[in-house]
Amino acid sequence: MSNTDAPLVGDSFKLGYRFQNFWDVPMATAFFFGELGAGTFLISMYFDFVAGMIFGLISTGVGKPLFHLTHMGVPAKSWRAMLRPDRSWISRGLISIMVFVPFGILVVLDQTFGWSGGGAVGKLIQLIAVAAALLVMTYQGFAMSHSSSIALWNTGLMPVSSMAYALLGGAAVTLLLGSALNSLVDADLVLLQKLLLALLVVTLAILLSLLHAAYHGTRGGQQSVTLLIKEGFSLPFYTLVLGAGILLPLILLWLGGSALVSIFVAATGVLVGFFSYRVLIFKAGVYEPQISFAARLGLH
Amino acid sequence: MARMGMVFDLKRCIGCNACVIGCKQENSLPDGVFFTKTLSEDYGVYPSVKRVYIPTLCNHCEDAPCEKVCPSGATYTRDDGIVMVDGEKCIGCGSCAVACPYDQRSQVSKAMLDRGLFGEGQLTDFEKQGYERFTPGTVIKCDFCSNRVDAGLDPACVVTCPTNARIFGDFDDPDSKPNRVMRERGGGQTPLAEKNTKPKVYYIS
Repeated sequence: MSNTDAPLVGDSFKLGYRFQNFWDVPMATAFFFGELGAGTFLISMYFDFVAGMIFGLISTGVGKPLFHLTHMGVPAKSWRAMLRPDRSWISRGLISIMVFVPFGILVVLDQTFGWSGGGAVGKLIQLIAVAAALLVMTYQGFAMSHSSSIALWNTGLMPVSSMAYALLGGAAVTLLLGSALNSLVDADLVLLQKLLLALLVVTLAILLSLLHAAYHGTRGGQQSVTLLIKEGFSLPFYTLVLGAGILLPLILLWLGGSALVSIFVAATGVLVGFFSYRVLIFKAGVYEPQISFAARLGLH
Repeated sequence: MARMGMVFDLKRCIGCNACVIGCKQENSLPDGVFFTKTLSEDYGVYPSVKRVYIPTLCNHCEDAPCEKVCPSGATYTRDDGIVMVDGEKCIGCGSCAVACPYDQRSQVSKAMLDRGLFGEGQLTDFEKQGYERFTPGTVIKCDFCSNRVDAGLDPACVVTCPTNARIFGDFDDPDSKPNRVMRERGGGQTPLAEKNTKPKVYYIS
């Protein structure tokens, strides 16, 4: 057996591919809430839609930490995660959340009560909130791409996909809330629908590029992509990530127009696809065989 | 400055796993946790089939990815090159574990320590005293038996190996055992060299 056709070996004492199982559903859920919240905040802020901004802040400020704490082995010491911003994306991300949430609240208060009067201070706070939101949207992708151990994750497309999904989810939530609460003018809703359609196409392109790059990159990447499109995870990948998350919303928004039912189903599909993507990208991550002497030393 | 590391002589390893047992005993490792494993690789086509044994442990990389990603500063490298985890600082986020290309880290849970090797509520005296070193929820890994190294001894897996397949020493010392063996055998290979982690563990065959 050569290194190229090594098996998935689980915890056995065999040489082969091994699933990473340190980051699982709680971590994926935390990533989902973080990216969704920051994306919703940004999109809603563009449309001056306060309810969406509040949803984004709650998603990032409450949902994300809650699931991080669920994942953490020693939750009481989780404050220590901010101690190494010089080298760790986890530290940078935590600090960005700690900046994003309070400055986001200040922006919401400004939008609601107009305390800054549109002055420089208000603009500066907006700028800081937007910068922090952008970091919250992408740092998880950087944290994953920064590590060479899991070939599927070790690509510059990982933070790009984080941003695409964050904006996609954000546009879906903003459109849904805006329609349901009747808080956005028709022109904004039409623009949001067009934005969502564009983001669906862009996200699909990024997703396919990510899979293509991983499959043609290393053996580990090939193994992970095979798991996603041909083997163990192919059913949820095709039905939830591609079907419910991309194709269904595309068709509904294209054909269904601005009917609330269509928007509700499309937005729900986007969120289901986004969450499934986050879970499956963790599940399909594999460590490569450490070394193959049969292959390297010509022992065949 | 020392640079402690290990050489695995694959011609000597017989896959007996005595090193694994020695390590588990020395470090009081809970059920399912291993700091070293002797993996097997089968190759060939029947009836000409062969098996090679590949011992593995933390490679104590010079450019350790686990240390780079640790957000709490729990993972650090000693002056002698041994990569350590400070259980008091570790928050159990698992970043180091997913960053290690060699899958050489484990997370120790409270349930794992309560369950012990023989079932709920049946911890032996050996386990009771051994598990005190672990903080539940944190990530643990091989530290080359740093307490033994500090006392001038070889790691437990090295002294347990009946065939001397594991050779431990200081790579900065030209006359150390691993350097001598590497010279005699014409150098060695490091695991997943393409990851550029500069492991201090070499394989010779």
